[in-house]
Amino acid sequence: MDLAEHAIYRAAIQGDREAFEMVIRSTSRNLFAIAYGVLQNREEAEDVVQDTFVKAWKSRWRVRDSAKLPAWLATIARHRARDLARKRRPEPLPEDFEAHEVVESAGQTADLDGEVRSALAQLPELHRVALTLRYFEDLDYGTIEQTLGLTNGALRGILGRALGLMRKRLKPALASIG
Amino acid sequence: MATTHEQIDELLAADLHGELTAAERDEFHAHLVECAECRQAFQEGKNMNRILNETMADKKADAAFEQRMVSRFRDRVPKRSGFISLITDLLRVRAVQLTAVAAILLALAQMGKMITGESATPKQHRESPVALDEYRSDQDKAGATQVSGILAKTDGRTKGLDLNVQSPAPPAPPPTEATTERTIVTGSYIPPAEKESALPVTTYSAETLKPKSKKSEVKDEKAPTSAAASTEEPSASSSAVGPTDNRKLIRNATAELEVVSFDESIQKITAFASEEKGYVATTSSEKQANGKLRGEIVVKILPDNLDRFLGKLRGIGELKNQALTTEDVTKAYFDTESRLKNARLMEQRLIEILKTKSKDVADLLEVEKELGRVREQIETMQGELKFMDSQVAFATVTITLSEKNMNLPAAFLLKEKAQLSLYATEVEKTYNEIKALASPKVQITNAQIDRDNTGRVSARLSLLLAPDESEAVIAKIKGMARVENFQVQTERVSQGGDGLGENAKTERDKVELNITLSRDEQETALQQTSLRIQTPEVNDKTKQLRSIAEQQGGRIRSSSFSRDPNGREYSTVSLRVPMKNYNALMQALNGLGKVENVSVRRDDRPNSQIDEGNAPADVSIQVYSQGNIVSEETGIWATLRRTIGQGAAALMWSVRMIGVAVAFLAPWALIIGAVGWMARRVSRARAAKKQAAEQEAERS
Repeated sequence: MDLAEHAIYRAAIQGDREAFEMVIRSTSRNLFAIAYGVLQNREEAEDVVQDTFVKAWKSRWRVRDSAKLPAWLATIARHRARDLARKRRPEPLPEDFEAHEVVESAGQTADLDGEVRSALAQLPELHRVALTLRYFEDLDYGTIEQTLGLTNGALRGILGRALGLMRKRLKPALASIG
Repeated sequence: MATTHEQIDELLAADLHGELTAAERDEFHAHLVECAECRQAFQEGKNMNRILNETMADKKADAAFEQRMVSRFRDRVPKRSGFISLITDLLRVRAVQLTAVAAILLALAQMGKMITGESATPKQHRESPVALDEYRSDQDKAGATQVSGILAKTDGRTKGLDLNVQSPAPPAPPPTEATTERTIVTGSYIPPAEKESALPVTTYSAETLKPKSKKSEVKDEKAPTSAAASTEEPSASSSAVGPTDNRKLIRNATAELEVVSFDESIQKITAFASEEKGYVATTSSEKQANGKLRGEIVVKILPDNLDRFLGKLRGIGELKNQALTTEDVTKAYFDTESRLKNARLMEQRLIEILKTKSKDVADLLEVEKELGRVREQIETMQGELKFMDSQVAFATVTITLSEKNMNLPAAFLLKEKAQLSLYATEVEKTYNEIKALASPKVQITNAQIDRDNTGRVSARLSLLLAPDESEAVIAKIKGMARVENFQVQTERVSQGGDGLGENAKTERDKVELNITLSRDEQETALQQTSLRIQTPEVNDKTKQLRSIAEQQGGRIRSSSFSRDPNGREYSTVSLRVPMKNYNALMQALNGLGKVENVSVRRDDRPNSQIDEGNAPADVSIQVYSQGNIVSEETGIWATLRRTIGQGAAALMWSVRMIGVAVAFLAPWALIIGAVGWMARRVSRARAAKKQAAEQEAERS
């Protein structure tokens, strides 16, 4: 993290609105990715990001280490998204999934997009969030680990497992494409 | 490459995402060449990656997303005014928070102090005067017979510098206190705060003492010589006597003489005195009622010539009595002399101390004061010695002379004085009656009637009665009113001479009678009785009581009637009857109702001539009835009224108490709230940490 960024974070924590807006600009996409990863819904994800910033602004003085501001924001966003998801659930996901399977197996003209979504929905939350961060924002592994508060090198396993699972789920579709 | 094969998922993803190191990638691709299964997986993975890239591309945030976020943030979090935001921002700084809490606590403590009225500094305790008392009693125990003036002036703080000067005990105690040891104890304390103020005093006293000390020194030089001279003189003259050589004897004589002529006698005595080397010190004389002179003459004479002088005196007239006293003051004299010596030594020592050791101002002052005291003693003792010397040098002869009475009285006059105190019911009437007695043989010399502002009337009369009528008149006056007191004084006055004139006539003079008249109301009752009578009809019984009293010759002095809210009636009557009717009255009262609480007090007056029958007796009677069982104050409405009143009072009281409680608790609630708020923050921080740990677990 370079010094300029650090200074901006510190200013934002101390109540500088312009600095905070700069933080919003720099982190909102990542937060959106996280929220989307949890919720799988764009509108909801956008609301979560919105709420995250408002809440963060109000309780910014709780951040002691200004370098951890992005990670802190990510935590807030994930919590809020998770809360929202919990409220929305239980979702009749398994039946939905079955239906997709049936459709898939019945005809190979099935909607690939829907299949990918249902496969994603079946992944653990953390895996999903990691995937969205990677594919939305094309972040490198180090940044993703930092954002999600993971230890160094942990992401490789997570993404590998996620991709592996996805691959197995979507094998027929992949084969047809191949 | 077993490991590569097993880790195919990880390596595959990392390779697709471009996160493999060059070495890893080489190894991975080498494995792919070997392993068909992994090659298949790689192919699928590539497809998967592509699909994901495609599907995710249209789901990610659009280009205007950031701008939207910022503008919505601006809408939702409006900018606050500079000051408020400054304050809120400031309050979020940890140091500011701590300072604010400390300030609030301090303010609360200060407020509490102000409310309870505690002063910040502890009160300064002054030592009580008890300390002085103790100190004094200590000194008393030590047998101190002299407490210097310094001590008496010191205040309660008498601890600290104690300067005890024990004068060299005189070898022989003074004659009056033969056994008590004489110890001089001086104690003084000057508190540190007063030391500075004491400084000017010191200089002042030093200056004033200087001339004084000089003077006393001069005196000291003179005194012994003069004393020696005066003591030498009598001892020289009395050397012949022998045993009286060193003795100090004071000789005094008194003589009473009856002479024919006073003046002649004085001349003779003066002549005798000069013959015997003496002198007449004082003479005094007075003329007596019978025209004769009587007087006293004091002669000072050399002790050795005293006996001869007394012998000569007998020739002057008839010696009625004579006394000769000799007082041996030798012991006292030499005691005083040795004490004087000691005091001089003491003075010398004190002067030395003053010259050499005068450093401490307080000590200096102390020594100065002691010196002054010693010098005073010296002067007193010198005076004593001088006085004794003069007493010893001359004997004092006091001669009382009276001229012989040659004439016998011609006649005697019997003077009678009578004092009569009377109590009358109507002072004015009696007063006028007495005045009406006036006649040539009954002369009224003075008559006055007094009425003071409380309406009390008294009268005084002075009468001169002819001797033959006096007894009859006095008896008549006595009959007019009650006699409180009667005194007669008879004096016999001799006329034109002294002594017992056997042939002299005795004549009665006019009788002087002084009468005081006062209202009998003022007379204190011989007997006082109080009683209560319980009866249902208070009013009727009171009327009856009045009539009974009138029958018995009593007079109502006061009466009152009252009714209390419970319906109880009280009637109080106090009356005065003559003693002779007292018993009859009491009997009659028994008929009125139940007589209770009778108490009788008798005022015995010895030494006064009163007739008991007519002496007044006071009776105070309270007639009362029992109240209603249910009074107006205990009915249902009264109870209801009172209950409501008390309820309202209780409500107001509770409101007050709540106010007090709020005032009492509010600060604590504030403090507890602040502590709770801090605790919640800490717990939240912990929960966040825990969550992070959970995520870690979840990930793994």
